[in-house]
Amino acid sequence: MTTLRNLFTRSPENIGAGVMVVLGLGIIALAAEWVSGPLAVLVAVFMLAAIVSIVWTAFVGGLDTRRALAPYGLLKPGILWLCLFFLAPLWSMLQMSLSSKKSRFDFFPSFSWQWSNYSDAITNFGPQFTRSFFYAATATVLTLAIGYPLAYVIAFRGGKYRTLLLGLVAVPFFTSYLIRTLAWQNLLADSGPVVSMVNTLQLSGVLETLKIMDGGRLINTPAAVIGGLTYNFLPFMVLPIFVSLEKIDVRLVDAAMDLYSTARGAFRKVVLPMSLPGIFAGSLLVFIPAAGDFVNAQFLGNPRTTMIGNSIQDQYLRQLNYPVASAMSLVLMFVITISVLFYARFMGTDDLV
Amino acid sequence: MVTKKNTSVTRGSSYSRREFIVRSGLVGAGAIALPSILAACGGSDGGGGGTQSVFFENWPEYIDAQTVAAFTKDTGYNLKYTEAFNDNNEYFAKIQPSMSKGNSIDPDIIAPTFWMASRMLQLGWLQKLDASKIPNKKNLRSDLQNPAWDPNNEYSLPWQTGIAGIAYNIKVTGRELKSVEDLFDTAFKGKIGMLTEMRDTIGLIAMGQGKKLGEVSSFNEVADAFDKLEKAKNDGQIRSFTGNDYIDDLSSGNFAACVGWSGDVLQLGKDNPDVRFVVPEEGGTSWYDAMIWMKGSENADAVSAFMNYVYDPVNAARITAEVQYMSPVAGVRDELVKMGGDVAALADNPLLFPDDATLATLQSWGALPEAEEALLDERFAAITGA
Repeated sequence: MTTLRNLFTRSPENIGAGVMVVLGLGIIALAAEWVSGPLAVLVAVFMLAAIVSIVWTAFVGGLDTRRALAPYGLLKPGILWLCLFFLAPLWSMLQMSLSSKKSRFDFFPSFSWQWSNYSDAITNFGPQFTRSFFYAATATVLTLAIGYPLAYVIAFRGGKYRTLLLGLVAVPFFTSYLIRTLAWQNLLADSGPVVSMVNTLQLSGVLETLKIMDGGRLINTPAAVIGGLTYNFLPFMVLPIFVSLEKIDVRLVDAAMDLYSTARGAFRKVVLPMSLPGIFAGSLLVFIPAAGDFVNAQFLGNPRTTMIGNSIQDQYLRQLNYPVASAMSLVLMFVITISVLFYARFMGTDDLV
Repeated sequence: MVTKKNTSVTRGSSYSRREFIVRSGLVGAGAIALPSILAACGGSDGGGGGTQSVFFENWPEYIDAQTVAAFTKDTGYNLKYTEAFNDNNEYFAKIQPSMSKGNSIDPDIIAPTFWMASRMLQLGWLQKLDASKIPNKKNLRSDLQNPAWDPNNEYSLPWQTGIAGIAYNIKVTGRELKSVEDLFDTAFKGKIGMLTEMRDTIGLIAMGQGKKLGEVSSFNEVADAFDKLEKAKNDGQIRSFTGNDYIDDLSSGNFAACVGWSGDVLQLGKDNPDVRFVVPEEGGTSWYDAMIWMKGSENADAVSAFMNYVYDPVNAARITAEVQYMSPVAGVRDELVKMGGDVAALADNPLLFPDDATLATLQSWGALPEAEEALLDERFAAITGA
């Protein structure tokens, strides 16, 4: 008994890590259906044994043992959550993306290294992919252009109204995403207030040249989709930038001025670099969901502005083409990951990711 | 045009005639109510107590306010009624995981459009209806009996039927429309809507090109219609492909015209007289939503009782008065007249009870081979751009 106890309590770190790996793999194995029947029971028993062993180790080991085990215990909920709701589905999706259907309504496509799903996804939906990234990138730039000055004013000139102003940025977003997008449908409608204002001011010619209006209408145009994305994701840009600006000590700007810097120079060399983490975080929070968004394109777009999110939804839910839809989702994930990595390298903020 | 005609007919009907009809209606209603009361007794005695219930999942706004409660009162069976059926394809995707594993879904009855019901039948998801317990099946309109996909209606009974045609906002078009070609008029560039329901959109275009829908058996025969649609999309003629929400765009004037469904436009026309509906001179598509009994449901008696109940012309007329689609039940027209008031005017509405000339122009799709149907769906998906 003592030897067994020693075996467990001597290196609690290894026990903690080992149990975490066993539980993580066990959960993926069960959720992604690697195992089934009696084998699944065996895996479950094994996982239970792991839990019992770690609880027992913590129970019989001293304070030091428990202290060494604590980090693993705290990590466990997050890791297991990730295994169950990210890694296991990802595995299933990977498997699905390489499967083929025996018949049109076959709900259980069989795994067959069907790489053509990926070539189908890329060749058939190439325009939607490029369009999505273009729209998302444009929306990111626009949210930055609108959000940075806004965050700057709130952070440095907000004074006692700072909290209120910040609240005003967030308040509209307490309403459902869908409702806000539908509201834009009414605002931008052909007989709606915005179009009639534009017509009164005789601005339609200018807007047509800028390609914002198309044939006298604002809604169901690419500009409306990009506008919707920009509007809907604006707070995700403002809030991180605000947080990073707020942390800046204003005396640093004074110091720069004391050293004969111009106001512009002080901003460029002091404030901007220090707010880069906020810009970086904001860009990711806007770009990633915007690239996969399908609501704005559906309600504010036309048949020539469909984004990849719409296509994936259509392939999953209407065409019931699970293999190709999975391949499209993975391609989207892959491209986003690669572009984020490049962006991180370019921004020089590796320590953030 | 259509609306005007209705009002004049309503005004024309005389009191004495209506009174007579109401009286005879009372007698008729009594005669009809008696067997249903007897049936209710039989149901609760023989069916193992009146505890059995039926769950019907239907499209939104597709029943009147009274039927749910009245059904329980008259038959003793409980009815659970939900409106979660929004789109044929999406609903199919939703229940496919359960059904293809051989499990049951919660609803006993659903009412997909006929082609989807046909697909479910082919996949073996349906149960045969017990015709002996649905005596009112005899009231099924003769033109709907014996569909090619379900001979003798062994597995399905139509819930409501309707027409897909052209819906337009006369304030925007500035003129009456009458042809499918009007949808491709460049004067309406960027103001045309099309339905995501492939059979209605492509059906109308193909009919405009002189095709007979019932005879279409391969993709190639209607390839021209897809090309025409694609060209219109690329030219910017089409503003968007919509589901039921075309109603909002049409009403607000974003759409000058679109492919629409008769009942929707009738309901909308009550509030917005600018919105009109026309069956194009080349013909409209006729469709119906079919009540089907899902495999795995064990509430056989309650399901039969419900279908029997809504095939009673009195109950069917009450539903028609509310939803304003064409009823599949013969005798509804007489019942509507008996109900009197505004409702009686519906009996003369050509979109609810089309005249023979209109009926002759209506067409519906025949059964397509699975591989060809897949081609149509894929091509349509590629065009709608999703």
